[in-house]
Amino acid sequence: MGLFRRLRTPKRHRVCLIGLDCTPHSLLQRMIRDGVMPNVAELVGDGSLRRVNSVYPWVSSVAWSSFMTGQNPGKHGIFGFIDRDPSTLKTFVPTARHMKSRTLWEILGDAGKRVVVVNVPVTYPPKPVNGVLISGFLSPRLEKAVHPPSLLPKLQQLGYRIDSDPWLARQSREKAWPDLWDALEKRTKTLLYLLDHEPWDFFMGLIMETDRLHHFWLELMERDDPVWAPKFFELYRYVDDFIGQVRERLDENTTLMLMSDHGICSIKKEIFYNCWLHDAGYLRYSKPPDEIKGPDLQAVHPDSVAYSMDPGRIFINLKGREKHGSVDPADYERVRDEIAAAAEALTDPDSGEKLVQRAYRREELYSGPYLEQAADLILAPVDGYDPKGALWKPHFTHKDQAMVGMHTYDDAFLYVPNHSLPTDGLSILDMMPTILQLLDVPLPPGLDGRGLI
Amino acid sequence: MAQKGFTLWFTGLSGSGKTALAEMVYDELKQKRGLKVEKLDGDVVRTNLSKGLGFSREDRDINIRRIGFVCNLLTRNDVIAIASAISPYRSVRDENRALIGSDKFVEVYCEVPIEVAVERDVKGLYKKALSGEIKNFTGISDPYEAPLNPEVHINSGSEAIEESFAKIITYLEERGLIKPLGESGYSEEEEEAISAHLEALGYL
Repeated sequence: MGLFRRLRTPKRHRVCLIGLDCTPHSLLQRMIRDGVMPNVAELVGDGSLRRVNSVYPWVSSVAWSSFMTGQNPGKHGIFGFIDRDPSTLKTFVPTARHMKSRTLWEILGDAGKRVVVVNVPVTYPPKPVNGVLISGFLSPRLEKAVHPPSLLPKLQQLGYRIDSDPWLARQSREKAWPDLWDALEKRTKTLLYLLDHEPWDFFMGLIMETDRLHHFWLELMERDDPVWAPKFFELYRYVDDFIGQVRERLDENTTLMLMSDHGICSIKKEIFYNCWLHDAGYLRYSKPPDEIKGPDLQAVHPDSVAYSMDPGRIFINLKGREKHGSVDPADYERVRDEIAAAAEALTDPDSGEKLVQRAYRREELYSGPYLEQAADLILAPVDGYDPKGALWKPHFTHKDQAMVGMHTYDDAFLYVPNHSLPTDGLSILDMMPTILQLLDVPLPPGLDGRGLI
Repeated sequence: MAQKGFTLWFTGLSGSGKTALAEMVYDELKQKRGLKVEKLDGDVVRTNLSKGLGFSREDRDINIRRIGFVCNLLTRNDVIAIASAISPYRSVRDENRALIGSDKFVEVYCEVPIEVAVERDVKGLYKKALSGEIKNFTGISDPYEAPLNPEVHINSGSEAIEESFAKIITYLEERGLIKPLGESGYSEEEEEAISAHLEALGYL
């Protein structure tokens, strides 16, 4: 294209979105105030940083699926990191193959927009897109996570990693720290490379290391641990510097958005709902408890009334639906009400604090063709009481020494510059339609989120 | 289940899609499923292992025996060998089958109508063969003996390559030569590894 024509052709609008997994609005504000994130502080100076609600349950797989589709789980079909086939009680890890809705990048591709999407959960196996898609941490190996495959050698050369190793953090924080940094540095280096070398209309890079930092170090930061608190903020300074480098690369026609998928708080205790269901007579085991590993639903005795899966999802052992259903459909509502009331009455045996804010019936949270796949009850925990899905544990509550952070619902964030966003009631579901608006792509029907522009 | 070695032998006219399909299967098995795989392409083999051989029946048979020999070495060491060569003569293909063992030999016949192959003429060879510039060209001036009972029959004139690819992978899975991926897109080991990762993060 000649210079004259280039000058006359209006530059197309682009959107660059940097996601900080698990970074709470409240913590971001604190770090802006304290000078930890000067680049972000400069960006959000125009007042368009907002607090955002996540989804139920507020785990990354459900939150990012809702983000990328602009729809609730009843439509996109992803309800947790793990799910089960009721007719066999076999568990599985939901992936992009279970995603029932079209994603932001598919819609953008259809509109002729080129996308670069890096590290978003539930994008494995990578579906071909108009551009680049590198799947997130549910990918087994990088070789299987990259579209187009021709990009793989470059990613290998850059040392790109799908994720840090959380088992290291389970062993010791000292061991995990260099590993977390290594993953972060390689991710940011790769994102900057892709920004520089790939054409795009929509660029999305997700930093997952903030989530890992919070899960294993949050409490130490909050109690101002002399060793770990400075290190905690050092990582955020690096992320801020990365955002500064991204900003330097963008022209005036590109909108730089920042966001997170949920918030975080320190864990007071982990709560094993199956232990409660067992002790209350709702759950029986078909094998000796000490032989039950993790969420092994094959050990649910046919006489059971209900069982739970992570995080705080309760399934009624319903006749005609479950492998060994015991609850007659005529009794379903009564049983569900009874368990919901009992769950809402649960308290911390030590402090007497409530454990469950509210037990939601699925239809109170979700709507759509896949509603029936959802848990019958979704327990919204009181912050600090982290719901767990192991089928059996010798204790109802437990304080883990390694895992110290749990997600929260109402403390995600969104930053969209130069627009007067609503101040209240924003949802992670609103982000996808907002991006479509920014890129002048018509909103498809059936969205649950709203465009904020 | 440890990996089992086998030979996947693509045969068919030039332009029948053997190489493209072999590449797709190779990528699937090696990149996506993490298996040990080697490929032996007829055109490539003729530049090294069979350099100097011509296209007489005798030379063609020697070439195919050599490829079969290497495939057998790989297969018996539990590597998957993918050969793609016109391999026009049934007898030498069957020799290779006998050498490697019927239980470890999968013949994929890529059938294409000669008119379609001539029309495609990706390498420009048919044009030369029809003008007489190339002698002994399979399908034009040399015979092609189609397999009588191939394990997989591809109709590359009428099928999309994705369909042919799926046919091959499904066959290998159903025969137990490779493990099927779960509905999540993971192999058994991968799903275990992902579950362990989620366990470390406290999600199970």
